[in-house]
Amino acid sequence: MTTPTRPSLDDPALTIPVDHAGIFEPIPLARTERQQEFYALKDGELLINMGPQHPSTHGVLRVVLKINGEKVVDLDPVLGYLHRGVEKLCENADYHQVISHVDPLEYIASLFNEWGAVLSFEKLLDLEVPRRAEYIRVLSAELNRVASHMLYLGFFALDLGGITPILWSFAERDEIMEMLAALTGQKLLFNYFRIGGVNGDLNHEFMSRLGDWMGRAGAQLEAGMGLLNENEIFVRRARGMGVIDRETALRMCVTGPNLRASGVPFDLRRAHPYSVYPELDFDVPTRSEGDSLARFLLRVDEVRQSLRIIDQCLHQMPDGPVSARLPRLLRPRPGRAFSSVEAPRGQCSTYVISDGTDQPFRMRIHDPSFLHLQLMGLLMPGNLLPDTMAIMASLDPVMGGVDK
Amino acid sequence: MALTRPPAGGPPPGEPGSRLPVPATNADDAMAEAIVVPNALWTPADAEAYGGVPVDEASTLALRRYDETGEGRRNDARWGALDVVPTKADIILDLIRLNSLMPLLSGLACCAIEMMSTATSRNDMDRWGMFPFRASPRQADVLIVAGTLTTKMADPLVRLWEEMPEPKWCVAMGDCTCSGGRYKRSYSTIQGIDRVLPVDVYIPGCPPRPEGLIYGMMKLQQLIRERRGHWPERKIGPTVPEGI
Amino acid sequence: MDRALKALLERKLGPSLEGPVRQRQDQTEIRIRPGDLPQVMRTLHDEHDLRFEYLADLAGVDTGTTFQVVYHLWSEVTPDWLRVIADGIPRDEPRLPSLTFLWKGAEWMEREAYDMFGLVFEGNRDLRRIYLPDDFVSFPLRKDFHLADDVARSPGGGVRPMERTGAPKDADETTLRRTSPGA
Repeated sequence: MTTPTRPSLDDPALTIPVDHAGIFEPIPLARTERQQEFYALKDGELLINMGPQHPSTHGVLRVVLKINGEKVVDLDPVLGYLHRGVEKLCENADYHQVISHVDPLEYIASLFNEWGAVLSFEKLLDLEVPRRAEYIRVLSAELNRVASHMLYLGFFALDLGGITPILWSFAERDEIMEMLAALTGQKLLFNYFRIGGVNGDLNHEFMSRLGDWMGRAGAQLEAGMGLLNENEIFVRRARGMGVIDRETALRMCVTGPNLRASGVPFDLRRAHPYSVYPELDFDVPTRSEGDSLARFLLRVDEVRQSLRIIDQCLHQMPDGPVSARLPRLLRPRPGRAFSSVEAPRGQCSTYVISDGTDQPFRMRIHDPSFLHLQLMGLLMPGNLLPDTMAIMASLDPVMGGVDK
Repeated sequence: MALTRPPAGGPPPGEPGSRLPVPATNADDAMAEAIVVPNALWTPADAEAYGGVPVDEASTLALRRYDETGEGRRNDARWGALDVVPTKADIILDLIRLNSLMPLLSGLACCAIEMMSTATSRNDMDRWGMFPFRASPRQADVLIVAGTLTTKMADPLVRLWEEMPEPKWCVAMGDCTCSGGRYKRSYSTIQGIDRVLPVDVYIPGCPPRPEGLIYGMMKLQQLIRERRGHWPERKIGPTVPEGI
Repeated sequence: MDRALKALLERKLGPSLEGPVRQRQDQTEIRIRPGDLPQVMRTLHDEHDLRFEYLADLAGVDTGTTFQVVYHLWSEVTPDWLRVIADGIPRDEPRLPSLTFLWKGAEWMEREAYDMFGLVFEGNRDLRRIYLPDDFVSFPLRKDFHLADDVARSPGGGVRPMERTGAPKDADETTLRRTSPGA
């Protein structure tokens, strides 16, 4: 395989005539084994394109479905409609700038992307983070986890057709976002964590909003869940759908709540603890059925555990600085560091290689949702077409992270 | 340390020989003195990055030259000699359209979450009639492009735009759609959707707050009202001139 | 830092290891030749006292002179992350064996490494581009692919007519920017 030569913009072989571009996307030449297998249609089968724009709210994912009647026989997800080249941009940015570059990957839970990046930089530098900063990190991250799970519950119900849960969950989520906006200054892409701490201490507005919200959070969660748990349509559409068993989950490198719903009690906060999680008391909910309903109920349990963690953080918050002092131009010594955090969707890991300059040599971000979309090829065949999106919704992908 | 400051002497900005460009203003309607904040805080480690330091005149003053031609300041309500007094029917049609804008459900990235947040209970877009997000482009009025547009997605998005029937408008929500935003140097994003779609309202922010999106949509409503229902020939395609 | 793990790896994988087993903080690192990958991974996965059943990450790296593929594994028996670096993949013939026989989930990660670097994984049933459009000709994360200030000037951009804004056609020189002393 030779390194391709630099293409010229004038090369006729590379030019797509303008009148043909965008008219239709032809079926690609079946070059790989899997493509040949997929695009060979048997009698009665039909290829349907569920294009990058579709009513599901997960983002720009294109799925080419091969259906026979109403049943899905096979599918081929096409990614890359949101590929923004983040890893290359990180190689051309400072260590401090990288934090804001990795924010929009898993944009719903952006504090976890930042945490992964910042943890790996701190490992490179052998930097110790002040305890107050660690507690603030855990507090804000668990709030973000609650907000992310709220969104998941709303989207899951929306993809099954229910509109009320998403309105309720967005109302909850907006309260949390306003809270975090009082703390970090931003509603969505926070850019709050810094190497060696966080950017700014807790303030009065944040604490008062948090106090108000904590008082009602438990009750509102139960009320919202009552809409769905006791809803026969929801339960019957989610139970038994998209079952992942333990061996498949490990073979497909699934992480996070999807893995725990299949019976593997692997949570990075307990298996490979980071920050101050060893000092906090919480359970790791696990379920063994592995179906969509189990994944849904598991995330509800996780929200309850997160509320416990937030409570403990507030009571155990120590005093002290919230950030270590670092030079503006950071030059870690050459080396490699890997870190992994438990994001709401799974394990968000970062591998950074430093070559002694002020820009990372290689910044590799591994997002959890990427591998969960691989599961679609295993879970969907055999199900009906409307259940396709329901199963995908239960896996909780975020296309920003999938496509980087 | 690589932090350097530009030399304190030298000609003031805007004069020939100065190293700092002036934001483009037209002398006729300049309402205030330009505020120039030189970037003295940081220089990149690689001297060739970002087009090289010191600033290269050709690339940074291109925008100013473009502004001096006055091409971007055309009056868009271009009816020319046919400046007809609007009839009552036109006004009523405009009111009908602007009060029931139906956006296409085309959220691409993070801004889509803020768009959904604007559509739900706390910041309700339904107050202005904009709620039902249509999944099919044939039924939609407004294409709110919320999120980064990549080269792979550009084809489907322009196709969606072409499938929308007139009257239609396009709103660029978020920094990535206005100008490329934080992905300005990326190899796979479109640096601003006005390179491929005709944009009516730009809403900056990363992501813009729901209030910002609502303000942008209200500007769009004002635009619909003021254009009096006329849709001048739309240039579909890159509207950004060369060199910008 | 698990000292017992170091001894265990040296005993089980002795001849396949290139260089010492390095440990720092909570990471243990071994380097192997790309040809030894299937056998080493099978050992790490199946052996009862190793049981690295969990593949966390598969990353390609361009050191400027060669390619590397870096795998991160986790096991229940040790608190450390294990990093396996398959080093010394030549730039003009970047082929190495695929791990899809062991972890089906590696298929897409290998597709991504192919897309970004041009690494060809032999045994991957579906090796095609995953992020970039199929008619993209360059491999962006290689060190000789430079980001331009305008994507129309970058080597891979401009192929699709959407991005042709008429920007100047002179592209950057094909030079390697820097090699990494630490990779």
